[in-house]
Amino acid sequence: MRILLIEDDESTAGYIAKGLREEGHVVDHANNGRDGLFLAMGEPFDVIVTDRMLPGPDGLSIIRALRLAQITTPVLVLTSLGEVEKRVEGLEAGADDYLAKPFAFAELRARIRALARRPSGPPAEQSVLSLADLRMDLLQRVAIRGARKLDLLPTEWRLLEYLMRHAGQVITRTMLLEKVWDFSFDPTTNVVDVHVSRLRRKLDLPGEPPMIRTVRGAGYALSTPDGVEEV
Amino acid sequence: MTKHFSSFAMRAAAGSAAVMLVLSLLGSGWGWWRAEAALRQQLDLAIAAEAEGFLREYEEFGLRGLAATVEAYSRRRGPIYVALLSPDGRPMAGGLPDAPPALRGFAILPGSGDRPSLRVLGGTLPGGARLLVAADLTPVDRAASALAWTPPIAGGAAALLALLLGFIAAARMERRLAGATSAARGVMEGDLTRRLPLSGRNDEFDRLTETFNALLGRIEALMIAQRQVTDDIAHDLRSPLSRLRQLLEGALAHPRDPVSDTDMLERAITELDAVLAAFAALLRIARAESGVLRQDFSRVDLSALVETCAEIYAPVAEEAGHTLRTEIAPGITLPGDEALLRQAVMNLIENAVLHGGPNIALRLRNGPAIEVEDDGPGIPVEEREAVIRRFHRLDRSRSTPGTGLGLALVAAAARAHGGALTLQSGPGGTGLKAMLTLNAGVL
Repeated sequence: MRILLIEDDESTAGYIAKGLREEGHVVDHANNGRDGLFLAMGEPFDVIVTDRMLPGPDGLSIIRALRLAQITTPVLVLTSLGEVEKRVEGLEAGADDYLAKPFAFAELRARIRALARRPSGPPAEQSVLSLADLRMDLLQRVAIRGARKLDLLPTEWRLLEYLMRHAGQVITRTMLLEKVWDFSFDPTTNVVDVHVSRLRRKLDLPGEPPMIRTVRGAGYALSTPDGVEEV
Repeated sequence: MTKHFSSFAMRAAAGSAAVMLVLSLLGSGWGWWRAEAALRQQLDLAIAAEAEGFLREYEEFGLRGLAATVEAYSRRRGPIYVALLSPDGRPMAGGLPDAPPALRGFAILPGSGDRPSLRVLGGTLPGGARLLVAADLTPVDRAASALAWTPPIAGGAAALLALLLGFIAAARMERRLAGATSAARGVMEGDLTRRLPLSGRNDEFDRLTETFNALLGRIEALMIAQRQVTDDIAHDLRSPLSRLRQLLEGALAHPRDPVSDTDMLERAITELDAVLAAFAALLRIARAESGVLRQDFSRVDLSALVETCAEIYAPVAEEAGHTLRTEIAPGITLPGDEALLRQAVMNLIENAVLHGGPNIALRLRNGPAIEVEDDGPGIPVEEREAVIRRFHRLDRSRSTPGTGLGLALVAAAARAHGGALTLQSGPGGTGLKAMLTLNAGVL
């Protein structure tokens, strides 16, 4: 993937660029808002990662300018202002995701992948999601694995729907908290793990090839039972 | 003294005094004019009446009789002068202080030197002789002047009184404001507990002072909150950071080994994450306590919010060996910050799951009030207030996860919504009942 990184802090920029290059991405770096906007307008990128506070136009102004110019490249905003209302402000400006500093690199990686694979059409148009022998009918609210109907609670339903929409990707606990439960903070209890393991008990019966994988140090991924990971 | 002249009360008094003086002078001129006219009319009537009498005398006794009467009248030296002149202008009887003019009707003879001004009525008798009746105008002038002086004297006295009252008011206002000024200076110099003095008269000054005192209270609360955060960071984040430092230093002292290095680095990150979590929680508490959230309040469906929390935490409680029962009154809404309220409710539930007994009850009642009750060991009465403060943890809880900020955040959220967090014993005197009251009318 070709990624544009707009970040004025040299140390943070170096850390992110190095990590992403090790993943095999091509990273262009701008250390101020003006250069960043210029690059973003002129060249095709798969994902743009921008700091919120920048010399020159700030991150949100860059996003507004891009959206005005009909450039729909997914944008991830980094910020040290991790407050929930700032996140809402960023998403309203047209950002696709929001990540508070400091963050684990695994978190950034997972979010960039989720952004890059976003279906181009609005997700609401899909009424049936399917992966291997798992089918979710969003209109009928029925989930079936093989010939077996899954009896899911509302929370489990939302969780499975999110995992299905991001099948094959590593989804971090924080992403699940934010996107499935709309949490803007880290709970002390293992809320995510409890819900995932309950869903897993309903989805992967003993003897069936497991679909939900735990990715150590990162989160979870829903993938085809044969274990072939889509990267 | 000079500062009183730059006072508002003094300026108002001086202004009204000047207006009073001008008005009284205008009133005086008008009064003199009116009084003089009225008195002269009286005098004219008196002169006409006398002339009437002389004419009847003439009609009855002829010119000779009239001359005798005029002569006798003049000799009495009354206020009215009378003169009878022959047709060729010679005086026949009586006389005026001045040379008698040839006139018909009323006229004024201006005086000069010691001769007074005269009001004269003149006429010609049928034989050609002329009769003049006159009166001294001096008493009229004197009476009109006396009347005209009254307004400026009263006005001057009123103006002086206004100045005096203004001076007194300025001095009193100066005294009252001096108290407020010195208190405000005290606050500026750092004594945040100072308040402006109230007079107790409940007037406009007291109302203004009350508003200012409320403002000072707000500033003090903000400053205390800010100082508290700084202190907390200094005291309570220092220990995990020192642990982290020791860990790294210890590892550095040993020879490099991939297995133990990885383990050590992972422990360091865990330690650091705990510090960051505490830091984020502190910032959230500070934000909630600063009151800045209030301007972004929107209507929150509290029933749905608590319901969602229960749905999310029921499995968590179950896995941890608890049962979570709920009693949620439907349709309760209030203006508030949804994210903060959600975190407050979740903190209460997590608190019960981590530290409470096997049976947890979550209730939403009208009020609105949110209760989380458990039948665990509870919190000793003497520690209940302390656990609401930042970083306070019971000794037996030191090994369970948490930042020690959960209940502090709930309390801050309650205050941001005009409510409070209270901790009591559960039913039967065991366990803990945490009650979060919110004020629906806070907006």
